[in-house]
Parts: sequence; structure tokens; C-alpha cells
Amino acid sequence: MNICSLSLYQIYDLTRTKKDRFIQKAPHYYGFKPQGVQTKTGKEVCILFEEYEALNLCDFELLTQAEAAELMNVSRPTFTRIYESVRRKIAKAFVEGSPIHFEGGNVKIINWYICSQCKITFTLPESSVKFCPFCKATSITENS
Amino acid sequence: MIIAIAANENHLKAMVDPHFGRCSWYCLYDTDTKISSFIENPVGHHKEKAGCEAAELLINKDINMAIAGRFGSKVVDVFRKNNIQMIVPEVQSTVYEIINQIK
Repeated sequence: MNICSLSLYQIYDLTRTKKDRFIQKAPHYYGFKPQGVQTKTGKEVCILFEEYEALNLCDFELLTQAEAAELMNVSRPTFTRIYESVRRKIAKAFVEGSPIHFEGGNVKIINWYICSQCKITFTLPESSVKFCPFCKATSITENS
Repeated sequence: MIIAIAANENHLKAMVDPHFGRCSWYCLYDTDTKISSFIENPVGHHKEKAGCEAAELLINKDINMAIAGRFGSKVVDVFRKNNIQMIVPEVQSTVYEIINQIK
């Protein structure tokens, strides 16, 4: 293998970086607890935000997997893998009576922008040119 | 253009409050006249929907931009519907610093 083709993450992490998944909205609570069971630490099931979003799009908003995959900016097979993983995690939590936490994942929330110079995160009003409200620079990056 | 900044005290050296709905004061700054005024948040202690009620209160004052450390999901919906820009500063800053950055 040509050493020049290895980028930094491959040299140090030895894993492929995951593409960021777009989510519409993060859940407004942190998770679930089983009733009537003393919760033990170390038995929690962690659901990633991207998995929460997959479940939301597929089973709550009743989109097809192809439509949902497009919204999340991943391929259809990847979406299916995320969806499969969340179903298994929920099944595990239900059967074993473990609490569920929402955390982590490679996600970006859509329609929020960053200006690295002013160190702010912001939304844009509709039908306007994309610029930072503080320094008026147009060099903003999408998502947080 | 009128800007609403969530503040924890009613003077310019107060810090920007970490939560939009639960802050105790809002600083209203007019970029044209350069006058800042403070209004108290009457719904900050409500158990539910404090953010929505505060947002409606501020929308009645014709704001164009809102600044706070964090916006709840319901507030984001309300502001998006009314086409109001939301800004979250990444570093802790005072109301005075924010006003200086805007002009």
C-alpha cells in the first residue's frame, strides 16, 4: 500500500471516519428508566442520536428507508444498518430491564450554522444570503 | 433591528443566560437607535412551556434576533415559524461584549 495515500486518521486511529449523519432535532429528554427495578450502573443501553433519528423517521413519521436515508445524508444500506442496530438495542433494554440513554454519535443538526471567527452557532432567517450576523462574513460552515 | 439577549441580571455586565426560557431578564437592544433596555421575564418560573410564552412575549416586541446559551426544541419551532434568527455564543460572554460584536 502506498504510504502517501494514508491520511492522518488512518495512521493514528486505524479506522475509517464515519460520515456525519444529519438529524432534524435532538430528543428533548435524556432517556428511559424501567419501572420497579433497582437501576444498576454499567447496565445502561446507549442509543446514539443518529439511531434515535432513524427510529423517529422510519417508525414515527412513517417514511420509507430510502427517504429517511436521504434526509440523514447516508446511503440506504447504511441507514438500514443504523435502524437494525437501534431495534436490537431497544429489544435488549426491554428484555433485560436496563435503562436507556441517548448520547453520542456522529451527528449534525440541520439548519444551524457556525462562524468560526466569532465563535457562534446560529440559524438563518428564510430567503436571505448566507452570512454571519456578527462579522458579516460569508465564510460560514453548515451545522454544529 | 431589535435584538433580544437572555441575561441573568439587569445590567450590561451580566452574563448571557445559559437557557432562553428560564432566564430572569431580557436585554432588548435596538441597533438603529443604539438604546438597550431590560425587561423582566414573567414566565421564567413556570413549570411548562416557559420558553414558548417568553418567545411570544418577545415576538410581540418585534424582535429580529434572539441570543441565549441554549434554545429548547419548542422555542426553536416558534422562532423558525416567525422567521427570527437565533444565535448561540460558544464562549461565555457578557451582554456588553455581545452588543459590541453586533455593530
